[in-house]
Amino acid sequence: MKKSIVHIQNLNLKYQSNLVFDDLSWAIQNGEQWVLYGASGSGKTSLAKAIAGLLEYSGEILINFDDKSKLPAKVLLVDSWYQFKNLEGVANFYYQQRYTSQQAKETLTVNAELMYFGKENHLAFADAEPILIALGFERLKNSQLIQLSSGEHKKLQLVKALWLKPQFLIIDQPYTGLDSASRENLNILLDDAATGGVQLVLISNDQALPSCINRFAEIKDGRLAIANEAFKISALPNGSLGEIPRFLREAPKYSSELIAKMVDVNISYGEKQVLKNIDWEVKAGEKWLLQGPNGSGKSTLLSLINGDHPQSYANKIYLFGNRRGSGESIWDIKQHIGLISPEFHWYFDNNSTVWGSIASGLYDSLGLFKTLPYSKTIEVDELIKFFGLTENKNDLFNTLPLGKQRLVLLARTIIKNPELLILDEPCQGLDHQQTQYFNQLIDELCTNGITVIYVGHYESQLPSCLEKRIFLEEGKVKLIEEIKKEKVQEHFELVL
Amino acid sequence: MSNYFNTLPLREKLNQLGVCEFMDSSEFADGVDALKGKKLVIIGCGAQGLNQGLNLRDSGLDVSYTLRKEAIDGKRDSWKNATENNFKVGTYEELIPSADILINLTPDKQHTAVVKAVMPLMKQGATLSYSHGFNIVEEGMQIRKDITVIMVAPKCPGSEVRAEYVRGFGVPTLIAVHPENDPQGKGLAQAKAYAVGTGGHKAGVLLSSFVAEVKSDLMGEQTILCGLLQTGSILSFDKMMEKGIDAGYASKLVQYGVEVITEALKQGGITAMMDRLSNPAKIKAFEISEELKNIMRPLFQKHQDDIMSGEFSKTMMEDWANGDKNLLKWRAETGETAFEKTPAGDVKINEQEYFDNYTLMVAFVRAGVELAFETMVQAGIKPESAYYESLHETPLIANTIARKKLFEMNRVISDTAEYGCYLFDQACKPLLKDFMKKVGTDLVGKNFNEGKDGGVDNKKLIEVNETIRTHQVEKVGAVLRRAMTAMKAIKTA
Ligand SMILES: NC(=O)c1ccc[n+]([C@@H]2O[C@H](COP(=O)([O-])OP(=O)(O)OC[C@H]3O[C@@H](n4cnc5c(N)ncnc54)[C@H](OP(=O)(O)O)[C@@H]3O)[C@@H](O)[C@H]2O)c1
Repeated sequence: MKKSIVHIQNLNLKYQSNLVFDDLSWAIQNGEQWVLYGASGSGKTSLAKAIAGLLEYSGEILINFDDKSKLPAKVLLVDSWYQFKNLEGVANFYYQQRYTSQQAKETLTVNAELMYFGKENHLAFADAEPILIALGFERLKNSQLIQLSSGEHKKLQLVKALWLKPQFLIIDQPYTGLDSASRENLNILLDDAATGGVQLVLISNDQALPSCINRFAEIKDGRLAIANEAFKISALPNGSLGEIPRFLREAPKYSSELIAKMVDVNISYGEKQVLKNIDWEVKAGEKWLLQGPNGSGKSTLLSLINGDHPQSYANKIYLFGNRRGSGESIWDIKQHIGLISPEFHWYFDNNSTVWGSIASGLYDSLGLFKTLPYSKTIEVDELIKFFGLTENKNDLFNTLPLGKQRLVLLARTIIKNPELLILDEPCQGLDHQQTQYFNQLIDELCTNGITVIYVGHYESQLPSCLEKRIFLEEGKVKLIEEIKKEKVQEHFELVL
Repeated sequence: MSNYFNTLPLREKLNQLGVCEFMDSSEFADGVDALKGKKLVIIGCGAQGLNQGLNLRDSGLDVSYTLRKEAIDGKRDSWKNATENNFKVGTYEELIPSADILINLTPDKQHTAVVKAVMPLMKQGATLSYSHGFNIVEEGMQIRKDITVIMVAPKCPGSEVRAEYVRGFGVPTLIAVHPENDPQGKGLAQAKAYAVGTGGHKAGVLLSSFVAEVKSDLMGEQTILCGLLQTGSILSFDKMMEKGIDAGYASKLVQYGVEVITEALKQGGITAMMDRLSNPAKIKAFEISEELKNIMRPLFQKHQDDIMSGEFSKTMMEDWANGDKNLLKWRAETGETAFEKTPAGDVKINEQEYFDNYTLMVAFVRAGVELAFETMVQAGIKPESAYYESLHETPLIANTIARKKLFEMNRVISDTAEYGCYLFDQACKPLLKDFMKKVGTDLVGKNFNEGKDGGVDNKKLIEVNETIRTHQVEKVGAVLRRAMTAMKAIKTA
């Protein structure tokens, strides 16, 4: 009988002094391509890290590489939450940096990064080309790493992995942040890799998986339970969320009927134009869905509204009734807005407490530098209670699981009851149940007439309050339309 | 032109050296009003120029850039920085005549030429601003009498000035008005508004004078900040090589060690840094730092004397005139040291290990910070100024060493600092020769506590703690740090 490729026996694993796995055993046989699924915090990522040799464990993990294979005898893990480094190996960046042109380069270009990776692993550059094309990455070759969005960083990791073709490839959340076209192409690439002899383990609660996947398992209660099919989403009981704090039930105080207006807006970096002739108007109380493929300019568009983009000064933009660049400060703009995005999350101040993180939303600062008036401390406490975070109130932000960190950031956006909520892929990286809970919260919160701009790739994962849709493609407005209520509902139920 | 400071009578010298007041946040209640609607034109778009300009514009002010013609025609980096961020850019002739506030952010070495070129173009009653007072104080630049001359000096590199601003904070800043040039008495109000525009008022603003800023800045950068960190790093590395410690390990310990060790300074001064050591190591570090202070005191005093008398800037300007002969020679020599040429090894060193295995650097830092501070205060500089130019900046400079060793440090700091740093290093190494002979691997390279039982004499320990804690730099520091507790911790690799 042929040896199994991976053989795990009596694995014991701890995470922050809690036992995650107790005597876990698992074997991967030749020809098997696996998907692991499970709730957030179930230990999927820890298991992957242990196999990749990145976590300490006790017990046995044996990997039998095939010495006849031409593929490198390596285990490669593609992380779900990836933080890149600068030229000197430090990750000391700030959120707005990617929008600022600076000739003193702090990070490599995509091309240089790939060259470096290729050289280190003795790869031929020609082999990377088709992967770059399939994932729509060629146009980013000359971009600085700092300029990439979280979805684009994810893709870069995938490009590297598929180019290297290690004998054993583990991908944690392969689809997070990817637009639907890239998603389909990724599945084709993964099928190719599997045919070429790569052993796959995907960690994902998704159902649109590559066709090579033939084994499934659920990680639950510290065990690995073999399953017959991919994760099935079960509808959450639409439980009530508790009562929204009174200060959030009041309608936001609008300073103008017009929240944002852009007239023929253009943004470029050197030769590269990222937004072209944008005309768009957002009125008080409207609920927008902003969509478009990775790199179509969504985040840049939002950065113009949030006062984060240096090039807004030379464009015709009106925010909250005032022409941009007419003497207002960025803090004057930000006080009207609550914002959350995966990139914002990257650069968030990890060292503050949950309470401090939420309170800092009152001043739009990363970190809390002021003492709150008593009435505001009460509101922070009420909001924390409503979000079910009371127990975590004094915990450090970065010790919470991802889903809770996002809840904290959502609470932070809403704390001042702003006129405009910018929710840029707020659920990226969350599982279906968390997403559902999160969107339900948003639906509840916006009954007070707040204005919303929501970015999300998948129809099935949207709050139901959205009414209008703007679609970007290659920096241009492709389409603006009303969302037909039934349509969203329908999509929503279909998946449930 | 002659040295401005030397033209002053003693009374006025002391007077200006002694200007130093930590400003209450209520002083900034008017925000940027004093500059609202005025035309701010920045000369130069480098590290300070670009980042200060971005902040000022984001605070609602009207900012544009004027660059020398070659930079515009050649589409140099400075031109790209400004235009790609949608700033208006023009030649001196185009922008300066309408400027209300002209902000000079070119390298110090160029100031005389730049200011001579722009002054005739400035309108009556305009303001000229600097971020460092060298030109005014050491070169004695005379500014037209109708022009107001102010200084707003962020005590951080340009990148930090921006990063802290966008997260809603700022960096500590020194402001000053040149007493010879404040014809309308508006200088202070404008300097304050400027500090609000860059976010400095959130982290603490010190009202200083051109003289106090220059004399303390020069002293700090040549002695503790760059000079001693360079000498200490090279000597430590060489010692480990001599004793057969693995070169990759030694290189990493020295490169990142200064940053980790001095990070403690930011939070709790010398006391916090010393408290990271075990009791026996602390006593040892205390003893050798006392010894180091005695050995180096005359050298620190010589540097301060030369700065005060103008001797330092005179010799440096001679070197400028001589095509930077000495500077370039010393720069090349630094690039050739064994430490610089040995890449940091791929070894993991945890945070505490940097303290335990590099007790020598802790001693160097304590000795250097205290000496620089004491020498400045003795020379008539106020303790608050002396604090910013010694203890406060040490971790910021250490961060540049962690990035790319001494070469990076010397690239980032100003030409003036680089020159002074080499000058100090040249003199300090021979001075420490005998001292270094006695140093073993217990102080650098291996864990000091290894093979020791950890016992100490109570009385001795209390005495040592008392001496560390009651030093004036600790008392002043505690007050000033309270104002900037919110500054982000520097991340280490
Ligand atoms: N670096 C710091 O940490 C720091 C901290 C506080 C204060 N400061 C002070 O800030 C000032 C600027 O320093 P920096 O570090 O920002 O300098 P920098 O990065 O070297 O930038 C200098 C700028 O001036 C331009 N320039 C150079 N020579 C010129 C000339 N002859 N005429 C006109 N423009 C010229 C350069 O552009 P082109 O060459 O393209 O013309 C460049 O944009 C100095 O006074 C310094 O002491 C620096």
